[in-house]
Amino acid sequence: MTWDGKTARREPAEHDALTRQPVPRPDGDGPVPRPPSPDPDDPMSYDYTTDLAAIRAVVHRYALQAGLTEARAIDLTLAVSEVAANTVKHAKSPGSLNIWYDAKEIVCQVHDEGVITDPLAGRREPSLDAGGGHGLWIVNQVCDQVEIESDETGTTIRLHMNLPLRGVGQ
Amino acid sequence: MWYNKGVDLLTVSVTARESAGEPYTLVEITGEADVTNTDELRRLLDEEVAQQPRTLIIDLSGLRFMDSSALHALLRVNRSLDRQGGVLALVSPQPAVAKILRLTTADRLIPVFDSVSAAAAG
Repeated sequence: MTWDGKTARREPAEHDALTRQPVPRPDGDGPVPRPPSPDPDDPMSYDYTTDLAAIRAVVHRYALQAGLTEARAIDLTLAVSEVAANTVKHAKSPGSLNIWYDAKEIVCQVHDEGVITDPLAGRREPSLDAGGGHGLWIVNQVCDQVEIESDETGTTIRLHMNLPLRGVGQ
Repeated sequence: MWYNKGVDLLTVSVTARESAGEPYTLVEITGEADVTNTDELRRLLDEEVAQQPRTLIIDLSGLRFMDSSALHALLRVNRSLDRQGGVLALVSPQPAVAKILRLTTADRLIPVFDSVSAAAAG
């Protein structure tokens, strides 16, 4: 499977660098909905430490609710789990997960205090003998679009997956 | 044997160990395998590799999820067995596990079978 198209579709100016808030997209679809505020009572927002199974259950549930097929819901669950695994391995701090969706796509945003210094992280296929390094590569394989922002204060990774068209012909 | 870390649960059971009367070692991994329990998984699998089986079969039918950390634990077993002249075979991965095996092409390196008997027959 190849997803060569997604690199070209990455838009460097898709969000404001200072506020990290989405700005309106150039394709005329309007602004990406803002992620919900990190409120523990908000079902779309979760903080996690090592409870990755719980994170996966949440992502899988929302993915199906948003309209992804079971196979694509599995893909998204795998992708989010890999990103959250990086928090466990490298960030030494809790992470937060926000999920939102509209009629076209579901977005999972993971933030932690880790720092990614490699601008091509996850873009090269690692060797199976490498002993690691497959996490972000898998994420790039299964998602329709991946945005990574990282600086000394932390990393935000946004995983986009297109939803199947519904109501065709109506 | 079972290991519980956080809310995640991973069970590794050795249900047969290769010997004069046993043609292969059979290990069943159930639950969810990810970075939070890879150390335990690796340690338990290393114990079986150290017995130098000629055929090590890992039944994945009860494994709901596997991430890249756990995958690397399996790849490490495969390399170790290879060096010892042994063979690793995987059995019955569920869809999420089959997906990561396929995405990483690990399924071209490690044979995957539909049943333990098929794996034993090679």
